[in-house]
Amino acid sequence: MTKISKLNLLAALLLIASFFLPWVVWNNATISGLAMPVGQFFDIAKEQFGVTNPFPQFSFIFQIFWLIPVSALVAVVFCLLKKDSFWPSLIAGLPAVSLSLIYFLFSKNLVDQLGTSTSVWGHIKPWLFIHILAAIVMVISSEKKRWLLKSILIIVTAVVTIVGFNLASGHAQQKIMDETFVSTVKEKAAFSISSTDLIKEFITNDTASNIKYKEKIVEVTGSIAAVEIAADSVGTIRFEDSTGSFASFTMEKNQFSNIQFLKAGEAVVIKGVCSGSIFSEILNSTQISFKRSVIIKK
Amino acid sequence: MKKTRLLFVFMLAATSIFSQKKTTATASVGFDATTPKDALPKAENKTVIGSFDTKTGTIAFEAAVKNFSFSNPQMQSHFNGANWMNSDQFPKFTYTGTIEKFSKIKLSKNGVYSAKVNGDMTIKGITKKVKVEGKITVAEGKVSVNANFNIKLSDFGISGQPITAGKVHTDPKISVAAVF
Repeated sequence: MTKISKLNLLAALLLIASFFLPWVVWNNATISGLAMPVGQFFDIAKEQFGVTNPFPQFSFIFQIFWLIPVSALVAVVFCLLKKDSFWPSLIAGLPAVSLSLIYFLFSKNLVDQLGTSTSVWGHIKPWLFIHILAAIVMVISSEKKRWLLKSILIIVTAVVTIVGFNLASGHAQQKIMDETFVSTVKEKAAFSISSTDLIKEFITNDTASNIKYKEKIVEVTGSIAAVEIAADSVGTIRFEDSTGSFASFTMEKNQFSNIQFLKAGEAVVIKGVCSGSIFSEILNSTQISFKRSVIIKK
Repeated sequence: MKKTRLLFVFMLAATSIFSQKKTTATASVGFDATTPKDALPKAENKTVIGSFDTKTGTIAFEAAVKNFSFSNPQMQSHFNGANWMNSDQFPKFTYTGTIEKFSKIKLSKNGVYSAKVNGDMTIKGITKKVKVEGKITVAEGKVSVNANFNIKLSDFGISGQPITAGKVHTDPKISVAAVF
């Protein structure tokens, strides 16, 4: 085996090993290169930061990164059999360069957009650098000839990845920034409950209730204790129980016509997004608050 | 004796009316951290609990962090996230203060009075002295309080790349409107 073949073999083995080792760390989660082709990359991003895949319809493309360990293994076999490993090295190495850059750029985006760390280096693990280095060495050492072609391919892969990522990221970011909440009228309620039962549930166990109802759409039936409409036409409706604890609903602005003639004592059904509860030291009672609420039934 | 007793009852009733703590559960607090680069970090909470002690001039507010409502879902999520307000661990903002020279404000007389409040604001478990200037309006038996002031996010341990990048204001404007 020639020296260049030994280098190619070593690079391939390192590429395979580093593919399965931690590349980035986000809060409590460590993510390896494997996360992308198995579909966990965006699941973890959503779990940790609420960042979802902006192009879910193209998720199938991530399967291509299985070529990294598979082709690297083929390259290992070819090296041992003293066969030409040019193509398997290219097929393993170039996607590896691309995937490593994607992880780096995505982590940098998390820092820039969300302030997830003081710098991107707070997210990056050494195995990411080892992987990209192994990929470059694997491509370069795939054969003794075609140095220029191999160099150009590595550079073009890196440039295409960076440009493509920035375009996709910019488009995704704009899409996210342009998004507004859908009216709660159109949303399906996760729970339907009376105001007395809701308040009782929170008073009995606020920790469990906050976990259960936080940011969920809840339909609440009750008798109005108070209704107020602010100068900007946004209304607030309150249901109370005998302990003085209460549920407060901030209505959507478009609800003005539905609430302007409501009075205390009237029975209504309100659907809103639950913000959970706080204990008020001022009122010595529990407040459960809702935002983006709508009248379902008067 | 009977007259003395009646006078005593009258005085007690009068004292209780004028020393009462007025409360509201529909005060409105706005949070505006917009910059020329980003118009999205802006929210309002219209279910803020407030109290105003008309005898001592003490004023207090409690606001559920999660009920600050943004127009953009991403902004709503980030605001409450662990790296920002961390509302799961710190579910409310509070402010307690006392109006300076409160005796000069005649709550029994209709009018608009300027007021300076010295108080403590608590965000994310950190308490800082915050001085607020506002107006107290007395009309038709109701007392309204309005104020606009800025806070420094860094005072409450809030920092991050979006602030550094100029997408979130370092000193967001807080607006308060309450009717007691």
